[in-house]
Amino acid sequence: MAAVASVLIGLFALLGTPLFVVILAAAMLGFYFADIPLTVITIEIYRLVDSPLLLALPLFTFTGYLLAESKLSSRLVRLTQVFLGWLPGGLSVVAFVTCAFFTAFTGASGVTIVAVGALLYPALVEAGYRDKFSLGLVTTSGSLGLLLAPSLPLILYGIIVQQMNLPNSFTIQELFIAGILPAFLMIVLLTAYSIWSNRDQVIETGSYNRRDAIDALKDAKWEIPLPFIILGGIYSGFFAVSEAAAVTAFYVFIVEVMIHREVRYSQLPGVIRESMVMVGGILLILGVSLAFNNYLVDAEIPQQLFEWIQIYVEGKYTFLVILNIALLILGAILDIFSATMIMIPLIVPVAMGFGIDPVHLGIIFLANMQIGYFTPPIGMNLFIASYRFKRPITELYQATIPFMLVLLVALIIITYVPEVSLIFLDR
Amino acid sequence: MGSNIQAILRSIHRFEDTVLVSALVSMLVMAVVQICLRNFFDAGLLWAESLLRILVLWIAMLGAMVATRESNHISIDALSRYLGPTIKQVSRVVIALFSAMICGVVAYYAYEFVQFEYEDGTIAFGIVPTWVCQSIIPVGFSVMALRFFIAGFTGIRNSVETGTPE
Repeated sequence: MAAVASVLIGLFALLGTPLFVVILAAAMLGFYFADIPLTVITIEIYRLVDSPLLLALPLFTFTGYLLAESKLSSRLVRLTQVFLGWLPGGLSVVAFVTCAFFTAFTGASGVTIVAVGALLYPALVEAGYRDKFSLGLVTTSGSLGLLLAPSLPLILYGIIVQQMNLPNSFTIQELFIAGILPAFLMIVLLTAYSIWSNRDQVIETGSYNRRDAIDALKDAKWEIPLPFIILGGIYSGFFAVSEAAAVTAFYVFIVEVMIHREVRYSQLPGVIRESMVMVGGILLILGVSLAFNNYLVDAEIPQQLFEWIQIYVEGKYTFLVILNIALLILGAILDIFSATMIMIPLIVPVAMGFGIDPVHLGIIFLANMQIGYFTPPIGMNLFIASYRFKRPITELYQATIPFMLVLLVALIIITYVPEVSLIFLDR
Repeated sequence: MGSNIQAILRSIHRFEDTVLVSALVSMLVMAVVQICLRNFFDAGLLWAESLLRILVLWIAMLGAMVATRESNHISIDALSRYLGPTIKQVSRVVIALFSAMICGVVAYYAYEFVQFEYEDGTIAFGIVPTWVCQSIIPVGFSVMALRFFIAGFTGIRNSVETGTPE
């Protein structure tokens, strides 16, 4: 009976039932068979008010939507072009850095490809990069930056793990620091590949010009402090994460609406509404997964899963290989929020059983998800790029494969050298 | 008659949107005021912290209500692209009715829970009782249940009327 119902719920999930309904149904089924009154579901949803950290989600989401509406993308491209454009690999470095920054703020919702990629793709082709290469580059870069603060999935991972009350817990600050070097590693490897791949092409690189530099700086003078407010504020302990989110949102509002006037007041309710519908959906899923996690822990399912896996998998490194393969497949099928909220409560206790640090695991998890964004056949960014650049999706499959291989190398390094994530942390 | 219902629905939708947008604006303003008070005046509003956290819940529920209205929920949806149009339509109806049922059950238990809280009469912050803060849970799930039900029902009616899906 329970088995039939579980299979049915799984089938409904794959057919496109809203994820929060799927999780609720699974939790209800579990509670029903465990003779726990269903009132507990409401109590768990109400736990959304327990964590002050959750404030960061709506505030950062609003910030991201506001930035995406403004002309930040073109200012950002100009700025990086002036300062990094003269490097070997010139414009491709510009693309990687800009996209990473933009994605960190807007949370890899595809808006990076639409806003930044659309500017960079013609520029890359004009500078002499092959068309297919350029297409692959902007599609891949659409999810670069997922590991950098204040990306939504990064914060979400931290929140979910904190709610689980595990030993060896960590702060969001630690997670933010852990993401920096891995993201840097990805950018370096991708740049190296870009230079190698275009060694036979004639590529014009920009030259550094003092006047342009000053102009670009002036142009972006209001946005340049942003990373310092967020990162500086949080890392120095001056702001709690939720406070940094509020200050950032307020600052971006002043800059884009009042100073640059690129978002009109009349547009504002629409932007807020859209961003809140997105984050509301995520928060509700988070609320119901609190209920479901409660059931999982009650039924000792992570513990059983760990014991079962231990029979077949020996040692940390074998586990990591299997974990990466499983996550790559998952990342290709599920969107990042579903994957995070469904898998983290199961994976984290098991991985900790194998002696993997939860901060390191978070970085591994998100690095996998980042690649999942453009894994054929249904990685979301492939569709967005196909739509935006009006290319058949199969062309994008081919264009992104070399970049995917490069990022797989980065993933292997990140997975097997925990120091890349943990070196700046006292763990 | 039909246009009356449309007008009522539109104003309900506008009301929902307004509350959702106001929730974020109040959250932002209050959070910034709190930070200023703390850093410049070494003070803080006691109730603001609680209210801020409750706004998270309200944004969750209201955002989800609007998402239901627009069929804009996060879902896995790995299979439906491989289905034929008829089966796809059937699965849509079944999913909508299933979601309506689940939301209905949650709404029922949430209502019960809020009623207990009402009888207890605990205070969340200031003079605002806890049950008021929680009331968005049964209200939200009821509205979502209703919307899913209507979506399912319209799906059936359309297929019956035209004989073909969509």
